[in-house]
Order: sequence, then C-alpha cells, then structure tokens
Amino acid sequence: MKKHRGIKMFYLIVMLIFLYAPILTLMVLSFNASKSRSRWGGFTLDWYISLVEDGGIISAFKTTLILAFLSALIATVLGTAACIGMQTMRRKFRRLILAITNIPMLNADIVTGVSLMLLFIAARMTMGFRTVLLAHITFNIPYVILSVMPRFRQLNRNTYEAALDLGASPLYAFFRITLPDLMPAILSGFLMSFTMSLDDFIITHFTKGAGFDTLSTKIYSEVKKGIKPEIYALSTLMFVAVLLLLWLVNYHPWTRRKNDNGRKKFRSVPGIAAVLVTIICATGLLSGCGSSAAADYNDPNSLFIYNAGEYIDPDLLDEFEDETGINVVYDEFETLEIMYPKVESGAARYDLICPSDYMIEKMRKNDLLKPINIDNIPNLKNIGESYWETARSFDPDNTYAVPYCWGTVGILYNKTMVDEPVDSWSILWDEKYKDQILMQDSVRDAMMVALKLLGYSANTTDEKELREATELLEKQKPLVQAYVVDQVRDKMIGNEAALGVIYSGEAIFTKRENPDLDYVVPKEGSNIWLDCWVMPKNATHVENAEKFLDFLSRPDIAYRNFDYITYSTPNTAARELIPDEDIKNSNIAFPDLTKMSGLETYSFLGEAEDRHLNSLWREVKAY
Amino acid sequence: MRKLWQSMNKKSSLLSGPYLIWSIGFIIIPLFIVLFEAFTGENGQFTLQYVADITWFVNLKSLGLSLVFSLISTAVCLLLAYPLAMILAEFGKGRSSITVLVFILPMWMNSLLRTIAWQNLLERHGVINGFLSALHLPSLYIINKPPAIVLGMVYDFLPFMVLPIYNAISRIDRDVINAARDLGANGIKTLFSVIWPMSLPGVISGITMVFVPSLTTFVISDILGGGKILLIGNIIEQMFTQDSDWHAGSGLSIVLMIFIVISMIIEEKYDAAPSTGTKKERRKK
Repeated sequence: MKKHRGIKMFYLIVMLIFLYAPILTLMVLSFNASKSRSRWGGFTLDWYISLVEDGGIISAFKTTLILAFLSALIATVLGTAACIGMQTMRRKFRRLILAITNIPMLNADIVTGVSLMLLFIAARMTMGFRTVLLAHITFNIPYVILSVMPRFRQLNRNTYEAALDLGASPLYAFFRITLPDLMPAILSGFLMSFTMSLDDFIITHFTKGAGFDTLSTKIYSEVKKGIKPEIYALSTLMFVAVLLLLWLVNYHPWTRRKNDNGRKKFRSVPGIAAVLVTIICATGLLSGCGSSAAADYNDPNSLFIYNAGEYIDPDLLDEFEDETGINVVYDEFETLEIMYPKVESGAARYDLICPSDYMIEKMRKNDLLKPINIDNIPNLKNIGESYWETARSFDPDNTYAVPYCWGTVGILYNKTMVDEPVDSWSILWDEKYKDQILMQDSVRDAMMVALKLLGYSANTTDEKELREATELLEKQKPLVQAYVVDQVRDKMIGNEAALGVIYSGEAIFTKRENPDLDYVVPKEGSNIWLDCWVMPKNATHVENAEKFLDFLSRPDIAYRNFDYITYSTPNTAARELIPDEDIKNSNIAFPDLTKMSGLETYSFLGEAEDRHLNSLWREVKAY
Repeated sequence: MRKLWQSMNKKSSLLSGPYLIWSIGFIIIPLFIVLFEAFTGENGQFTLQYVADITWFVNLKSLGLSLVFSLISTAVCLLLAYPLAMILAEFGKGRSSITVLVFILPMWMNSLLRTIAWQNLLERHGVINGFLSALHLPSLYIINKPPAIVLGMVYDFLPFMVLPIYNAISRIDRDVINAARDLGANGIKTLFSVIWPMSLPGVISGITMVFVPSLTTFVISDILGGGKILLIGNIIEQMFTQDSDWHAGSGLSIVLMIFIVISMIIEEKYDAAPSTGTKKERRKK
C-alpha cells in the first residue's frame, strides 16, 4: 500500500487546489483596488473600510449571530428536555417521535421553508425576526436530539445510583451527576445548531420579512445587484475567523487537553462555546449603539420603506433620520413581481413603497392603497404638472401616487463592440452578438421588447400576439448571455457584454463610468415609465411618511438624489439646480417626448393575465 | 436503564411535552398545509390538477434537468471523493483529524459565498479567463451554461460525499485488508471485493447527501445559470415568491418530495450501520 505515494500526494494537492482556489480568489480580490476581476489594480484596504461603514452588512451580521445564538440556545433546552423525557417513554412512542425529528433533516430545505411560510401566513403572523427564529429553532432541535440521545446509552448508571444510596434526592443527583455527564453532547448539539443556523439561506429566504436580513439573505440580494468587492472582504474575514476558531479549539493550551481521539473532541467543545459566547456578548454590546437588529413595526417613531435596489441616495436616509429623529427601516426588492405578493399577503408591512405605473394600478384596483393627503406635503408643488398628468393614467384623481422618478427602457451598447448604428430592437436578435446580449429578467420588459419589435402594443392580451412574442424570445435565448436585472449595469461597465436592455436612468451613470457606452431608445417604440411613492392600506406611520415625502421633494434633496441615482426626476425645481447643462438638457435624462413615437406606459392586465405572462416567461427561461 | 429513569421520576416524560407540541406545530402541521394546498383548488374543492401540473412541458423539462444535473454531480462527487477518502484514510493514521479537517474546512464558509466565488472565476472577464488570456490560451466560456451549474453543485456538496465515505473506510479493520492480500488478492481485487462492499453504507449516505440538495437547489442555478436555466427548485421558488400561487407551488413540492422519499428509502435499505448517523448531522463535524 506504500506504493504510488507520489500519485496519491499529487491527487491530494489537486483536490486541495480545487477546494481552496475559489476561496483564495475571493481573498485576493478583496485587496484589489480595481473592481475588475481579471485585472490587478493595486493593493487596497478600501473594501474593508467600506464594509465596516456599510451599516446594512454589519447589522445583518449582528442579526445572524443573535439569531444563531438564540435559536441554538432554545433548541438545546427543548431538545435536551425532550431527550430526558423520552427515556421513560414506551419504545414505540419514542420511535415515532424520533421519526418525526428526522423529517426536517431529511426533507429538502425548500419544502421545509415553504411549509413554514404557509404556516406563518395561515396563522397571520407578520414575517420578521420572530418567524425566522421559530423556523431556525425548528430545524435546529433535531441536531440537538441526535447529539444528546446516543449519549444516554453511554451513561454510567452506577455513579447515579451511588449518589442516591448516599442520600441525594433524584433531582439533586440528576443535576450533579447525570447532567455533567451529558454536557459534552449537549454542547456539541448546541454548536451544531449554531453553525446550521449561521449557514442557512433557503429557509430564511422563505420566512423572513421587512427590514430583516441575515448575512445569507443580504449576500444574496447584494450579489443580484452587481459586483460588490465588500462581499469579498466579508468572505475573507469569515474565513479567517473560522481558521482562528479552529486553531483555538485544536491548539490553544486552554482548550487542548488529552489527545485521546474520541474524548478530545468533546473536551474542546466548551472551548469553542466559550469563544462563541464571548463573540456574541461583544456584538451584543456593540449593537447597543447601532440600529436594532430586529425592526419593530409597532414602534411609532419609525418609518418602513420598500424600494427598488440602489434607488435612493443612502446619505439622504441618514440625513432624514437626523433631521426628524424618525427611525427609517429601508428594504429593497429586486422586481415588482417579487414585491407585490409580500405586500398583498400582509406578510411584510411598510409605510411607503415605490412601484411603477402598472403595479400601482394593480394595487389600487385590489384595494391595497391608502390615499395620500397632498395638502400635508407642501413641497409637492415642485413636481411638474405633466408628471401628475401622466400619473392620472393609472391613478385617475392623483389620490394615491406621488411621482418619484421616470424614464424609458432602451438599449445600452458598447461602441467599441458594436460596429453598426443601433436604432432597432432587432439588433438583439443578431447572430453576430451571440453571448454578448443581456436581457432584462422581468416579464413585462422582456415581453415589451419582443412585442414592440413585432409592432404590437406592450399591453396586448391577444393570445396570438403573446405567443408570437414568446416564440421570438425563445429564438433569442441562445444568443443571450444572461437574464439579469440590476447586474446589467456592472456587466456593461465591465465590458462583459456588448448590448444590454436597461432603464434610461442607468445610462447616465454607466456612461460616466465607461465612456464607450451609449444609450438609445429604439425606433419601434418602448416603454415609458413613472415610479411613484404609494402608501399601503395597512400603513400606520402616516405622518412620518408625509414628512419623508416632503423631505424628498425639497429641491436640494431631490437634486442630490438625482445626482446619485441618475434617474430622471419629475421635480422641476430640482432639475433647475443641475449645474451641468449637458445633463440638464440631456436627451437621455430628459428626452423631448413630443419627438418620440411608440412610447407606452404599462397598464395592469389583470391577475389571470399576469400569471399567464409569468408562465410564458418561464417557458422562455426553462432551458 | 429505563428502569433507572423511571425510579428517578415518573413524571419526567412530561419533559418531552414542549418538544412534542413544537414538532406537531412546526413540522407536522406545516407539511399538512402543503398537502392541503396541493390538493385543493381556488374554492377549496379537491383537485389533482396542481400535482398533475408537473406534466406541463416547462415543469417536466425543469424536473428532468434537475434530475440529470443532480445525477451527474452525484456521480462526479463519488468519483472524486472515493479516492480522496481512501487516501485520507491511509495517510491519515495518527494525524488524521487535521488532514481531514483541511478537506472539510471550506464547508464552514457560507455556502452562498462559495458559489459566488465560482461566478467570479468563470465570468467572461473573470479570473480564469484573465489567466488564460495572459498565457495566450483560448478562453473558457461555461458560465450560464449547464457545466457551470454542475461544477457549482460538485464544489458545494463534495465534502458531504467525502466525510461519510472516509468514516466508513477508516472503520475497516486493517487486518481484513491484510488477510485479503495474504490470500493472494491483488490491489484492485482487494478494492472491489473487500473495501468497496464494506464502505457501501458510507457511499450510499454520501449519495443521498449530495443528491437531495442538488436536486432541490435554486441558488446554484440562479447564481451560475444567469437566469437561463430553470431547475425545479427555481420553478417552485418563483411560484411562491412571484406568482404567489401557493396551490401550484405546493403541488410541485409534493412531486419533489416523492423523489426525496425514494432516495431516503434507498438509503434506509443500505444504511444498516447505526454509527453513520443521519444526513446533516455529519455535515458539520
């Protein structure tokens, strides 16, 4: 068996490279000054600094630790008690309980997550820290039971009986003799629960609500937005923390005792536990000065906002908090289609949401909105009359919606990669640009592109026309590099693709970052959209919401917000403040609508039609 | 033992009460809600329609794709993990815990971060292509294509295959192997007629530990598939979070559970050795 040692070593090394190369890559990239992943732009610690400054990630990290600690602790208590109780049960009954215990471990996480989500909705519980905690306890208990149960078989009954003989009461004997014997198993159950809770994404994804993120869900939503080197920095820190922890456990003198294989593991467990508890306590103290981990909707001095990704200057939120003392809980959605069911089911509560035209119409028709009292918001006079008029197409009396941003949908292209003039959607079907095209991963926008190219209305419900559009999109699929939403921006800046379907608001920003890019609204026509703030029916912080809208409509604030997000503002007073004449009169940001034809706002097509569109879109996306 | 506990306190079985209520409330009832949603229509009537939705072309295609991807990634994991487990078991004597630890350490990294790492490696202008172009080699373009997803599954779940196989092999008595060699079996013969059969329980539990999560994932296909590849997990996720069509989503979940149950039954049949424990318990050891 000593033969082939070289080959075996070689195999081990190859596997090590396979396992560690991705992690090391992230670590190296975390020090890369350039956002690009293939070019080294010099050494920097900037990403670590901005990671620490990014309140969102830090508070998600705290939440994750608190959640893991609480859920592991409660699961340990419940699980250990259950194990003790089961000792006196009839065998049949005990086996039944153990069988039930196995279900969450063996079942797919997605089914567990979905089933708990349905339970919480059926029980009319608001999704948030509480529901996630319940879910985590549920999948943690089995780890405790499976760790503690076998230990009972190894208990030495003689010492216990000796204690009884010496006059100890059963309860006293239990706490002095049995429990210390069980302790290593209980602690390892606790630790297993703790790590499972830390790592969980899927179950949290289904049971979380507004203003609540664990590290996993935060990472997931950040990644969907584009390249974030802070995430690399975070990975590096996490990996180093794990290494440190393992080193402590295995080599540090006060955790290292007997090196007898089986026992050693148990002995080291209190060491890990001690380290963990210290971490928790430290973060608990730190979180005292930061924002609270679990947002409470019942706090009258708060404001819950639900907005699209990267759709406000975060400094303005801080400024608003400083100015008014109101605690803002700010949450982001990826697409309106994801936002809607959360609000409709009441699973997540907000005071202000920023949807687009057709979605506002849908929410209005489904009686989900509360009228906004414009008289209480003096600064709304800065919003141009033409935008109120556009808003009337989906909100006839301007009762519910306050215009926030508007724009068109078009093609962003890289002038160095595309040689012909771009003026038609048809270029997205050109074989020449195979794997160079980025499409919007949103039903209405994708369908609109195909429908407009075919010369139909973006609001058609004609089955034949929709079929044709679906088939056209299916034909396009082999040419498409990816269906993405916010990532179009970073990918186009990074020269990952030649053509991308994008909103006009991103054009100014991306052109600033990469001068080779240009934006065009194709001649066949496109979508013109208007995003507005609305108040859901069950909102309770009405006054705070009015204050916020007034704040946002102040010309200086609206201008700064425009400068940050670069989406066209309907605030005419703010537009006057733009110093750069090119942008103030830009054809992209403020196009002359009288010269463009075929621009349509989306209208709400009805629930059944929405589902039908979704299923057509899935048909396109299914490989 | 049981007698001892009875003597201690007859009422101690009440201690299981809270957990019993908990497991009924948070394990049993939720599953029944899924069942209920799957078999009832908009107006509460009984229907098989939603479970039958799996025969829709799109759903069937995604399920088929999930099955193919998870079978391939399970097979690749097995092929990579078995030799690795053997080498670890052989080299490991004495310093085994550290060597093994090195190979399962990546598991402690957040699983999303590990998948994202591959996205960075595989992008058109990603790290691998950066290296390849520096060496004037043709670029590798598998991101948003099936190989990237299979790669992601193999990478994410490989440790779940290595651990149980390693446990099973390192438990084999060296004397048995030596006896086989003494009786004239060569290395290959020993492997196939002694080591392999004895490690089978580990192999089977490794297979289920890789197969089930890869069959049901929606995260890996999401991050490495560029939205171009929908697995059955993606379809279910979208039914719940986008369509909020709980009936249809539950219907497909039930179908998915059938496959999970089948793989459980297979595992149960082979997994006779009690000490190999249960699925996820071994994950984090």
